[in-house]
Amino acid sequence: MVTIVLSSAWAQGGQTRFEVGEGLLNEVLKEFAVSQPAYRHRLLDGDGEPLGYFNVYLGDEFVPRGHRADAPVRPGTTVTIVPPLAGG
Amino acid sequence: MSYGSGVGWMGEMVCVPGGTFPMGSPPWVLAWLERESQPFPGEWFGDETPQRTRTVRPYRIDRYPVTVDEFAEFVRDTGYRTGAERAGRGMVYGSGYWEERAGACWHSPAGEGRAEGYGDHPVVHVSFEDAQSYATWAGKRLPTEAEWEFAARGPVFRLWPWGDDWRRENANTAEYHAGRLHSPGEWRRWWESVRSRSGPLPQTTAVGAFGPEGDSYFGCSDMAGNVYEWNSTVAHLYDEEVECDATLRMVVGRYRVIRGGSWMNFRYQVRCSERMYGDPDGWSNFATGFRCAVDA
Repeated sequence: MVTIVLSSAWAQGGQTRFEVGEGLLNEVLKEFAVSQPAYRHRLLDGDGEPLGYFNVYLGDEFVPRGHRADAPVRPGTTVTIVPPLAGG
Repeated sequence: MSYGSGVGWMGEMVCVPGGTFPMGSPPWVLAWLERESQPFPGEWFGDETPQRTRTVRPYRIDRYPVTVDEFAEFVRDTGYRTGAERAGRGMVYGSGYWEERAGACWHSPAGEGRAEGYGDHPVVHVSFEDAQSYATWAGKRLPTEAEWEFAARGPVFRLWPWGDDWRRENANTAEYHAGRLHSPGEWRRWWESVRSRSGPLPQTTAVGAFGPEGDSYFGCSDMAGNVYEWNSTVAHLYDEEVECDATLRMVVGRYRVIRGGSWMNFRYQVRCSERMYGDPDGWSNFATGFRCAVDA
């Protein structure tokens, strides 16, 4: 399993950490959005593909927009999703 | 230079004497925020604390955010193309969330052709690099976070540039347009009504339109709301041990500080000590602009 971390500003009901299965990063994000449909509009476009403008970190490592389709997310990894405008 | 709605010279700067002040929010502010009818947990504002003593040397800072007309002069002079123009898209708030919209950029903020009547409004769709490029051309620089906060509140803490009492008519916020807002749902209903009438046009106002009542201790306008403003300071916490949102720790050392909130925000996001952070790698949106500073 991997852990998805969202900002408190997105959180529904106060939950900011979620467990999902490992896999390629874009697939992990899609699986999360399917399992937690309240976040679908923040993460996926109209075609069901991950939006490109937010930033994603595997552990402390930034994954550039163009590398997310084939970036492996290994078990135990923390995936942090950060909007380009953060805080507030 | 040109006039903006009779409020004064665009490009006008305010002299700020140097000073030492407790930057950030005192503990009572977080307690107050938790009691208020606003949607975020107290931890969300933890990055404003603890207060840290900062000293700023004398400097001058723009009285107003940089306007569309001023940015146009820069573009005419240099041929500069912003990041949004090069990418062919800019970020606007759509029907449910942020979206990348084809053609949205500083002269076409909704991506639907050149917008008229915005010349004396703050320029938007400017990335950190765009703002720095303008500042260099103008012989200026972006303010540091400490300079920005000191210019907004002065040496003594205050919640908003004019004082501790919220005045809806003093700043361009979502509450100025929509009245008292308590929840993201109320905000979305307001925005949807705007968007359905006029498309995703930024609800900016002419710079200085809320002065002098809404001006800061040192006489700067639009430091609460209108547009988010880039600062030069790299994102950091005042104290590494502070309790704050996990995602904010990821922007430390990566993003740049953004201050002042915007027309999109509630009263709580346009406070003088409120901190936000922007991705400096080409990102911009239709509510983010900047003002400049110079050493005195």
